Amino acid sequence: MTIGGIDLFIVIAYLVAIPIFGFYFKKYVKTEEDYFLAGRMLPWWVISMSIIGTNIGAYDYMGAAGGAYRFGIAQANYEWIGAVPAMILSALLFVPYYWKAGVYTVPEFLGRRYNLAVRVIQALLWGLFLACVLGVFFWAAGLMLNEYLGIPVWVSLLLTAVIVGIYTVTGGLAAVAMTDVVQLLVMFIGGIALTVLGLWTVGGWSGLVESITPTHPNHFKLFLPLDDPTIPWLGMILGLAFVLSPAWWCCHQAIIQRTLGARSEWDAKAGMLFAAFPKMFIPVLVVLPGLLALSLNPNLTGPEMDRAFPWLIRNLLPAGLAGLVFAAFMAALISSVDSTLNSAATVWTRDIYQRFFVKNASDRHYLKVGRVLTLVFVLWAIAFAPVTTKFPGIYVAMQSLLSIFQGPTFAITLLGIGWSRATQWGGLFGLLAGVAISSTLYFAAGMSFLYVAWWSFVGALIVNILISLMTKPEPASKLEGLVYGLVMRNGEIQEILSDRAEGGE
Amino acid sequence: MGDWLAGLPLWWGKVIAVVFFLAIAVWAWRRPRAYIFKGAPDDRGWRDLRVWASVAMVIQILIYMAF
Repeated sequence: MTIGGIDLFIVIAYLVAIPIFGFYFKKYVKTEEDYFLAGRMLPWWVISMSIIGTNIGAYDYMGAAGGAYRFGIAQANYEWIGAVPAMILSALLFVPYYWKAGVYTVPEFLGRRYNLAVRVIQALLWGLFLACVLGVFFWAAGLMLNEYLGIPVWVSLLLTAVIVGIYTVTGGLAAVAMTDVVQLLVMFIGGIALTVLGLWTVGGWSGLVESITPTHPNHFKLFLPLDDPTIPWLGMILGLAFVLSPAWWCCHQAIIQRTLGARSEWDAKAGMLFAAFPKMFIPVLVVLPGLLALSLNPNLTGPEMDRAFPWLIRNLLPAGLAGLVFAAFMAALISSVDSTLNSAATVWTRDIYQRFFVKNASDRHYLKVGRVLTLVFVLWAIAFAPVTTKFPGIYVAMQSLLSIFQGPTFAITLLGIGWSRATQWGGLFGLLAGVAISSTLYFAAGMSFLYVAWWSFVGALIVNILISLMTKPEPASKLEGLVYGLVMRNGEIQEILSDRAEGGE
Repeated sequence: MGDWLAGLPLWWGKVIAVVFFLAIAVWAWRRPRAYIFKGAPDDRGWRDLRVWASVAMVIQILIYMAF
């Protein structure tokens, strides 16, 4: 199926308008801080919308709709119990400390709290992870454009690269965050239009339930039995709610980076917390379409299930609406890709290049390096995208990549902020042990990524505590402003840290 | 996982989830008011992030009770 007429006009207008709008913010970028942290001027509502725009990507539309087709409403756990509690935890515990520390990246914070080795490992892990994620995003775009527009995958990859690259390379976080605001609106308008029309077609909510339940009795249950091979309820709670979700919302560089660009500590916290509300609505946009596709066409099998969303667009939507929904999909894709690109460049510039290759260069130099690295990651994503086909499902591939090191990262970050006795060696060996455990369980034992996350978290936590108790405590001067209890008990330190953060030191 | 875990009924999941949501809401309310409003331009009620957190958790509880 190829689009034409009003649909083609809407899509082209959108694809042209976004890079122009984003490019406008280039004029505000004069320094490294402007480029990576939007000059620390972002208000809470921009942060919220940018966080959700970053979080909801092409893999959600493709992968989550496919997951809903396979497993039913249980897929929504990723947006509800697998997000909202962790966002509150992040907003009220982690974000204030990152913001006060005046850092650019999460690895930079961990480097201050523990040591350089932890920072380097984290920076390399995040650098590689963000690069892999870019490949997943680009491949999802290729599938969608191939299905809907009928153009070759490689052409769609290049098209995406050009559109995103124009404003991400030039405008940095300010351009990314502001375009995310527009794109989130487009996503919601298009997504709601699709869902409302779909529900109307199948006879409303009751019609949807009646058409699916006889053949798929568990498709309207949030928790699936323990013998479910993919998303058993205990795995969803232990692995997703307790580990993967907090790891994502408290430690994910692309998510956290928006809050680091906040104009005040309250804006940073409120930005993360308010994002929980649109997040709760996301299943309506990405999970319900999967169920609607199942109701209308229960014959998709295997990898075809990941195409439930494009199937719905192709077979359900009238002229005009199809273009709008397609624009919504592209908005989801672009708002994630630009954020990931920006964050990958930030990590590699701040934690690798600036730390090990060229220290104390001019601000302009690092700004230039950041832009060059952003461009390099665009090219990398195009090359890496086809590799993602080796994984059975797009969304599962994403979570599998996460589970390798998200559990250990969350464990050492949690102890780093919450326990003053955690030492640099406890953090380092906890991280290494956790990654070793997760790699063994995932690759050698073939365990579900949900349980891998849980056990690697527990392992990293235990090793961190044991090694910390066996090593010399960190001096109080090193911990000031980085550990929750110490700051909570000392108003003077809070003032100093707030002044430092506002001064951008 | 042990055999005893395999025998847990499905409704335990809902109970654990609801307790988890309540615990998060209680934890949020235990944050000091000064900490919550730190950096805010004023201390109007709508800026109290503990209220935001509680509303979010109530919505989650309703969803998990329903499904």
